[in-house]
Amino acid sequence: MNRVAAWVRSVPAAHWLLWPLPVLLLVFYVLPLLGVLAWSVTLPEPGLNNYLQVLTDPSIRDVSWRTAWVCMVVAVAGVALAYLLAYTWLFSGGLMRRLIELGVLLPLWLSVLVRTFGWLIALRRNGIVNTWMQAWGWIEAPLELTRNDLGVLIGMVHFMVPFAFFPLLSAMRRVDDRVLLASRGMGAGAGYTFWRVFLPQTYTGVLGAFIMVVVFAMGFFIVPALLGGGQVLMLAEYIYLQMFQTSNWGLGAALSAVLLIIVALLAGLLVRVTGLGADFKEGDR
Amino acid sequence: MSQRHQQDCIEILIEKAQRGQISRRSFLSAMGVLAALPLALRSQVTWAQGRGLIVVNWGGDALAAFRRAFAANFTKATGIAVRIDGSGPTTGAIRAQAASGRPSWDVVDAEPYTSELLGREGVLAPIDYTVVDRSRVSADLAQRYGVASYQFSHVMAWDTEQVGAAGPRSWADFFDVRKFPGKRTLYKWMNGVLEAALLADGVAPEALYPLDVPRALDKLAAFRPHVLAYWGSGAESQQLMIDGEASMGLIWSTRAILLEEDTEGRVKWSYDNAFLQHSCWSVLAKAPAGQKPAMQFIQHALAEGPQVELLKLLGNGTTNPKAQQMLTPALRRRDAGSPENLARQMRLDIEWYVDHYAGTLEKFLGRIGS
Repeated sequence: MNRVAAWVRSVPAAHWLLWPLPVLLLVFYVLPLLGVLAWSVTLPEPGLNNYLQVLTDPSIRDVSWRTAWVCMVVAVAGVALAYLLAYTWLFSGGLMRRLIELGVLLPLWLSVLVRTFGWLIALRRNGIVNTWMQAWGWIEAPLELTRNDLGVLIGMVHFMVPFAFFPLLSAMRRVDDRVLLASRGMGAGAGYTFWRVFLPQTYTGVLGAFIMVVVFAMGFFIVPALLGGGQVLMLAEYIYLQMFQTSNWGLGAALSAVLLIIVALLAGLLVRVTGLGADFKEGDR
Repeated sequence: MSQRHQQDCIEILIEKAQRGQISRRSFLSAMGVLAALPLALRSQVTWAQGRGLIVVNWGGDALAAFRRAFAANFTKATGIAVRIDGSGPTTGAIRAQAASGRPSWDVVDAEPYTSELLGREGVLAPIDYTVVDRSRVSADLAQRYGVASYQFSHVMAWDTEQVGAAGPRSWADFFDVRKFPGKRTLYKWMNGVLEAALLADGVAPEALYPLDVPRALDKLAAFRPHVLAYWGSGAESQQLMIDGEASMGLIWSTRAILLEEDTEGRVKWSYDNAFLQHSCWSVLAKAPAGQKPAMQFIQHALAEGPQVELLKLLGNGTTNPKAQQMLTPALRRRDAGSPENLARQMRLDIEWYVDHYAGTLEKFLGRIGS
């Protein structure tokens, strides 16, 4: 990195190579985005009425709370699962590692639609999960595993685990083995060593992964729409509703703006917590 | 059919594009969304240079059916090429087309309340009844900004293995899980659902409109434990019934017809007490192909021949009374617009929907989605 940076600085003309990306972002992302944000204070009439409605409308309040609740549950469950996976990966041998890598990476390469329909097929009333559990005599009647909150949570957690796995793994790999050995050597048990020595050193990674999952989860559309059976309305679908169905563009834009601000704040927090900013500054030198 | 433009798979997009059913721009942007641009570039889709009339419907099976029923003969007769685009002309989508200043759509197959609402706003043009023969549809189906393209019904369908062959007779039966056990599925985009809830709750049919929305929503909230899913697309409703996941559904007549065939009569349905609605041909005020060819297309599509063809292909009911004479008894039984079937159904009050659809839909979705 530093050599490239040094080379760019030494050849003035090379600066031009850096321009296309910001220009592209400005023209195709920032400008249209500003247009949408402008709608939020101009449609249907100029003023802050849309934002007032975002704050006071009972439907929007319900949808926001449900979105927040789903995001929290998904983040806690997703990070916990990813932590277990990363921890197991770190302390096991070849075969187990390959299995975990396969399990984490394979879903990343599949489209979200395929995965979501896969869950729908597996979890529905006469899907394989219910059929097997009935065949083994675990349950009498099929369980309601999808087309409700549970289905949405399962689908979203599955989607999020890989995104939490990698930051957690990188945090765990920074933990010095010798510290753990020292802890054991001085008489601490495995559990004590984990809770008091290993875990605290990975808190940054945990918090980073948590924020990342929340940020991702807030914009989820397809998974709740399909696995919720029309009965789990989240913010992203509500915005779609305002834009395409009731064509209340001003309100849709205001909701988008609020969501954007929350995500930006969380992203800012993420950068601070994980010290991503520090890395950038280091690269600058 | 008022089917929302759902996420569709990549192969279907390519297929549609190869048949020229969607524009290059919408193809590429859709593929971009699906992160399949490399595939799009390799798909060897070519794009015609000349631009004829663009007719927008709700996609799915209706794409091929519209081409066969409406487009092919029109092109033969007038030399005007027609492209059917399945993007789904929701109120918001049509308004977005108009707001862009340079719409690419000409004719839309819109909900009747969308047509009236956007007509009043000047987004859609008045139907030119000097070109379109008003007598081709029954009097109540020729609106100022839209004329009925076809009609369909929100019917009760039931799984005879779960609830018996006789099935529900009324909406009260539909909501009665003791008499008819099993889970239900209802329409996510609301048409007919509030009406069904109110009738089941004891409201007299004559006193249905204006709808008592809070009462309907309370009834639906209380019914929630028995609802498996609110279906969002016709295909989804069909799947729920075929797999026997739901024992009864409030679904479209078009899908009910397919279901009865596909299950060899295991799933039955009836026009009794069903809610009839039509769909509208409307023309964008700034239609790039011009008003004249657009109106000519509508005039052509209202003829009995194309209507009967669409009934055969999709099960969409006729709006042209003359079509009745061309129907076999079997097709007549299936036609939501036949006099016998009209007598068994109630018509959704489009006037109510014009004024209340958007606001009520929000409340409805908020309530069922919590």
